[in-house]
Amino acid sequence: MHIFSGPKGLQGDDDPIIFVHGTGMDHTVWTLFSRYFLRHGRDVLSVDLPGHGKSEGPLLDSIELLSANLLDYLDSRNINKFSIIGHSMGSLIALEIASSQPKRVNNLVMIGTALPMAVSDALLELAKKNDPGAIDILTFMGYSKDARIGNNKNPGMWMTEGTRRLMQRAGKNVIFKDLLACSNYVDGLEKAKQVSANTLLILGENDYLTPRHKAKDLIDNFQSVTVKEIKDSGHTLMVENPNHVLNCLSEFLCKK
Amino acid sequence: MKKPQDLKPDTLSLHAGQRPDKEHGARATPIYQTSSFVFEDTESAAGIFNVERTGHVYSRITNPTNAVLEERISALEGAVGSIATSSGQAALHLAIVTIVDSGQHIVASNCLYGGSHNLLEYTLPRFGIETSFVDFRDLDAVKDAIKGNTRLVFGETLGNPGLDVMDIQQISNLAHENGIPLLVDSTFTTPHLMKPINYGADLIFHSATKFLSGHGVVIGGLLVDSGNFIWDQNNNFPQLSKPYKGFHDMIFTEEFGPAAYINRARKEGARDFGACMSPHTAFLILQGVETLGLRMDRHVQTTREIVNFLNHHKAVSSVSYPELETHPDHELAKKILPNGCGAVFTFELKGGKKAGQNFIENLNIFSHLANVGDSKSLVIHPSSTTHHRMDAAALEKAGISEGTVRLSIGLEDVEDLKDDLDSGLRSALKAL
Repeated sequence: MHIFSGPKGLQGDDDPIIFVHGTGMDHTVWTLFSRYFLRHGRDVLSVDLPGHGKSEGPLLDSIELLSANLLDYLDSRNINKFSIIGHSMGSLIALEIASSQPKRVNNLVMIGTALPMAVSDALLELAKKNDPGAIDILTFMGYSKDARIGNNKNPGMWMTEGTRRLMQRAGKNVIFKDLLACSNYVDGLEKAKQVSANTLLILGENDYLTPRHKAKDLIDNFQSVTVKEIKDSGHTLMVENPNHVLNCLSEFLCKK
Repeated sequence: MKKPQDLKPDTLSLHAGQRPDKEHGARATPIYQTSSFVFEDTESAAGIFNVERTGHVYSRITNPTNAVLEERISALEGAVGSIATSSGQAALHLAIVTIVDSGQHIVASNCLYGGSHNLLEYTLPRFGIETSFVDFRDLDAVKDAIKGNTRLVFGETLGNPGLDVMDIQQISNLAHENGIPLLVDSTFTTPHLMKPINYGADLIFHSATKFLSGHGVVIGGLLVDSGNFIWDQNNNFPQLSKPYKGFHDMIFTEEFGPAAYINRARKEGARDFGACMSPHTAFLILQGVETLGLRMDRHVQTTREIVNFLNHHKAVSSVSYPELETHPDHELAKKILPNGCGAVFTFELKGGKKAGQNFIENLNIFSHLANVGDSKSLVIHPSSTTHHRMDAAALEKAGISEGTVRLSIGLEDVEDLKDDLDSGLRSALKAL
């Protein structure tokens, strides 16, 4: 499994931070946040899930299999306890791991999430055919209306095309299998009840892929949860409002 | 399933990259005429410097007004990002030096703007970068010119001044087969007439001085990254795929993925070479970009009428415009430039140099100067001005003779332009 851990690699932190990307993406969506925690002396493992980014391996089409694969990797690196942050599909993997390994997960952060994370048959059908239209829909729906006009906080970068390019780099069937994994993850609400880790949800006010109201049952099922809503943001919060997301993460993960 | 309706180019020209200013409600893009930006606190300052927070530090590297322009051009081109530079030449320089080192090589079209030719032929060799100039219509010649140390293929969407139409698809295929990117100068076409990325171009640069700004009042450039090229597919580009000591061992492909190139160009090139655009210049270019579609359509419409007029004038021996069946790239132009081949073209006067002088000196509306893409119509004699450093052989390869005249058609009434040209052409006939 390919991970980004910064130039120095892992330094033996007893609470490393695991970043898990969403559908068709890779670890580069976490660069700003990884760099923050690295500068503050934390170990970071920003992963490329199997078949994504620079990771080889078979594509896995269930959240359970993706989670087991990631846990195997963490075991192989002797990482016992950790905090885990996931976006979209990655948030479901983070939830699955936090529920199945309650003693190992110190903190759980789910960004741009909802349960169930149902995907329409029409989108699944496009993705199954590897039709570029699937990427167009995910890109378009992945941003708030404001963000489609731009005004990127990251100067000079056109947000939607950046996301489209990243997904275009995904190999054949990657997006289909990812969407299938999201859509088929039906036990998530029950799993949420088993989570004992400190939990934070970061949600976009104008998220069209995982709308704010569809996270309500999830929120209700956690024993304890903090919810941060980012105004004017769509699903791709780390691009639309990176500083706000970083503030939420640093406040949550660095608190004593 | 309903297809997503991305914003159309004319809407992007007006809106992309800017929303009304939240503090004062300004609808137009404010000019942030400041060298530097106050940090919120020491922690956020450290965060911005360490590329973990977004924000502005110093206008040599980023500026909010420039950022609107950069985003807008990226949106229009379908690119991941852009950098505004002090001139088109600065954009070309930045494009090259971001990925080409001393001892390496470029393959370029032999039909280039004179300034680009100077940089590649005379200046870059001083820094160990050599260029082979090739006829891009001869794909075998392009293929043969690519060597083991070639790191870039470069040409113009419409060659200057003969309007050779680059077959971007074919040239990019050749470049990609060799693991190197294609850079195109899209100044003459602008994203309104053609999006080179759709045909396989990896990098684009514009002289924004020309049609993008459109009014001949500023000097500026833009370097645009498609985000398509895979920079770590081979070992050709260690600048992007290996640790960079100048930024704490950052590996750009590892941290920025599709945006690796444009990030290196900004974090190294904009920082160290410093050829940045003034925010006031960015504002003026934005005013031009707002009406890009309207202006380009009018430029093309008037150009078509002028081309037809000249093509039937007794003082003219030939006109070079790709929409004419006589142009060698006519079929290709129909395919990739259906909305027009721009508003700059050349024609051959009967009577050579003396006729050319008579013609230019008897024009009243056309201005004799070294620029193109103004709202005002322009004229120049390339062999004695823009291309005067090229020797006879190079001039011939570029399709330039002593009788070649280049026009840039503006937005005046077409009948007034025809009358002006007719007056000049009658004077030219006296030289025969």
